[in-house]
Amino acid sequence: MRLSQKVRLLSAVLVPMLALAACSGGGGSSAADGGAGGGEQVKITVWSWDGTVERAVPGFEAANPNIQVEVVNAGSSQDEYKALDNAIQAGSGVPDLVMFEYFAVPYFAIPGKLTDLGEFGVERLKSDYVPAAWSDVTVNGKVYALPSDYGPSAMFYNKATLDKAGVKEPPATWDEYYEAAKKVRALGDDYYIAQDTGDIFFLLSLIWQAGGRPFKVNGTKVRIDFTDAGTTKAVAFWQKMLDEDLINTKITGWSDDWNRALNDGTLATQTMGGWLTSTLPERAPKAAGDFRVALMPQWQEGEKVGSANGGSSFGIPAAAEHKEAAFKFLEYFTHGGGLSSRVDAGAFVPNTSVLDSEKFQSETNEYFGDQKVGSVLAEATQIVGSGWQYPPFFEWARSIYGDIASPYYTTGQGSLAQILEEWKRRCVQYGNEQGFEVS
Amino acid sequence: MGLARRFDVTASATASPDASRHSAPTRKRRRSQIGLAFIAPFGVLFTLVFIVPILYAAYLSLFQERLLGGNTFVGLANYGKLVQDPQFWDGVGRVFRFTLVQVPIMLILAMALALALDSMRLHGTRFMRVTIFLPYAVPAIVSTLMWGFLLGVKYGLFGSLNDALGTDFDPFAPDTTLISIGVMVTWAFTGFNMLIFYAVLKAVPRELYEAAAIDGANEFQIVRAVKLPALRGSLVVTVIFSIIGTFQMFNEPQILPTMVANSGVTTYYTPNLYAYNLAFTGSQQGYAAALALVMAAITIAVAYAVQIRGLRNASDK
Repeated sequence: MRLSQKVRLLSAVLVPMLALAACSGGGGSSAADGGAGGGEQVKITVWSWDGTVERAVPGFEAANPNIQVEVVNAGSSQDEYKALDNAIQAGSGVPDLVMFEYFAVPYFAIPGKLTDLGEFGVERLKSDYVPAAWSDVTVNGKVYALPSDYGPSAMFYNKATLDKAGVKEPPATWDEYYEAAKKVRALGDDYYIAQDTGDIFFLLSLIWQAGGRPFKVNGTKVRIDFTDAGTTKAVAFWQKMLDEDLINTKITGWSDDWNRALNDGTLATQTMGGWLTSTLPERAPKAAGDFRVALMPQWQEGEKVGSANGGSSFGIPAAAEHKEAAFKFLEYFTHGGGLSSRVDAGAFVPNTSVLDSEKFQSETNEYFGDQKVGSVLAEATQIVGSGWQYPPFFEWARSIYGDIASPYYTTGQGSLAQILEEWKRRCVQYGNEQGFEVS
Repeated sequence: MGLARRFDVTASATASPDASRHSAPTRKRRRSQIGLAFIAPFGVLFTLVFIVPILYAAYLSLFQERLLGGNTFVGLANYGKLVQDPQFWDGVGRVFRFTLVQVPIMLILAMALALALDSMRLHGTRFMRVTIFLPYAVPAIVSTLMWGFLLGVKYGLFGSLNDALGTDFDPFAPDTTLISIGVMVTWAFTGFNMLIFYAVLKAVPRELYEAAAIDGANEFQIVRAVKLPALRGSLVVTVIFSIIGTFQMFNEPQILPTMVANSGVTTYYTPNLYAYNLAFTGSQQGYAAALALVMAAITIAVAYAVQIRGLRNASDK
């Protein structure tokens, strides 16, 4: 009796444990199947978490009656990549068109999971895209995706707070930014010019703008170097800001604390992607009319160089069934007739035809004190420094960055340069394990 | 069943030896077939959701997946790597330390509450019982968000406390985060364990208390001599449940970093979190499967050790 009780108890123990084991081992879910329609009718499946893509479907289907488009949200970012990897591995349910953040393009392109768009003559579209966006979708000289939205770095500043601190003009150089930071800090305990708790995308955008190119990808060879001149300059500057307590290291972006600080004006600037234009009004409704947008502060007075922070594109998996139809739609909504409906719905696209248009340049935004936000962001997009590359394993790399950076941000021991060196060491180790030649 | 067996015995006794030799095997076979049919629904589900996934995880753990070069068979290399992985052992050490401190506190608290409810000297016990149990019904995600606000230093309750007292205590500093998680877990699961203890206490025959009262025992002596020994068996169960629960800690450290900056929660804070991150951001399913299996083995070993010890002690008394 005792024994059987024991067995029963033990299995009660075992079931949850091993169910867990199975869970973390097994695969996720593969999403909707894009089965072909009857006859010559073709149905393509698009995976997108960008809601504006759907806006382009009716116009496309009207112009191409034999192609039917189904837009599926298969999750955002890494959830979607995971689902795609699973579908490719399973050999079924592979969509015809998939959304990728720029840093994820090499991850899929290098192992041969994406179609080289050269076969569709994609080069003829090149002139419509800003050069930096085009370079984001180009891996080892081949184009694997078309840019669908963009995140040019820009400085969003709270004019009211800067005015209060005695900063009349938004800082145009990083030196001015440093001086402004001291004035803002002098307003009181809670006032800071910005926050940073280890935001790798921000630090990289700073490095990018300063001319640093820490990742060099050539085929399956990846070189990581955080000691080039641009990187060193950017890192040293931010280190100074942190050392002199000019940056709030307690508030993390996208947290509730962040929302509150944006609302009450204690964070004077946010240097982030242009997508913050649509996020700020949601996050900081109380600060309506206080915020303005400017180009990123420059490293040299009179210069105009920018960088990007985010953005995405669409590519066609190598295992897709209807590549030709997929490319037709891809071209339609990222370049052709479907583009305007997406822009109207709020998409920020890196197409020069849109950025240069009168409508985009002259539209005012009430939240930003009736500023012509579009023209600033259009310029920020045009000046993004080219030649930036992400390593193919960036998704993993960014996930562990916090582990390495966190001790510094809490104890103040160490330095950004040391963090980056440790990050590099881990990336080299992981990259080589994954079959790349990383040094 | 008992009746059937008795009937069987009489049947074979009255029947000729020849006939019984003939009919017994067929009847036995038929009966065992019926038995199989009864356990089939369980067996099928058990195999599908339990055996197959484990075998699949074990199979996966023998492979290494690479971005370049795909899946390769690596034998036990994942296990070899795991044993030398400081991040894995960091997580294991953390859940061990957590278990050693949090589980006793929680169970003592739960036991005290159960004894208080059972003392029949409190008013509104039914209300108390439900209230204390209620946190268990709150999903861990919600409760983590709630505690995140409550313990936040910037705008939360602790911010106000610090302001009022002039202190600078941060419940989510790297050194204190684990304690805060302990508070959350204790809050969530004390009621559950209390109910188990309370149910056991309710099942104690009232005669024992009467006998104790006649013997002149006071309330404290009754607790020591009657109630606590009665709880021993359920204590083993709750300890094991708690160990499994804390070894699998995942929700709290998964959500906290989105709320609090630099709380010290790493991607390998607990073994479960590490397995998740390995599989879903590092695409190292094989390694994650190995980790999950090893962690399962460790948990089973610890739970089993507790059980053997607990039951031995129980039978000694």
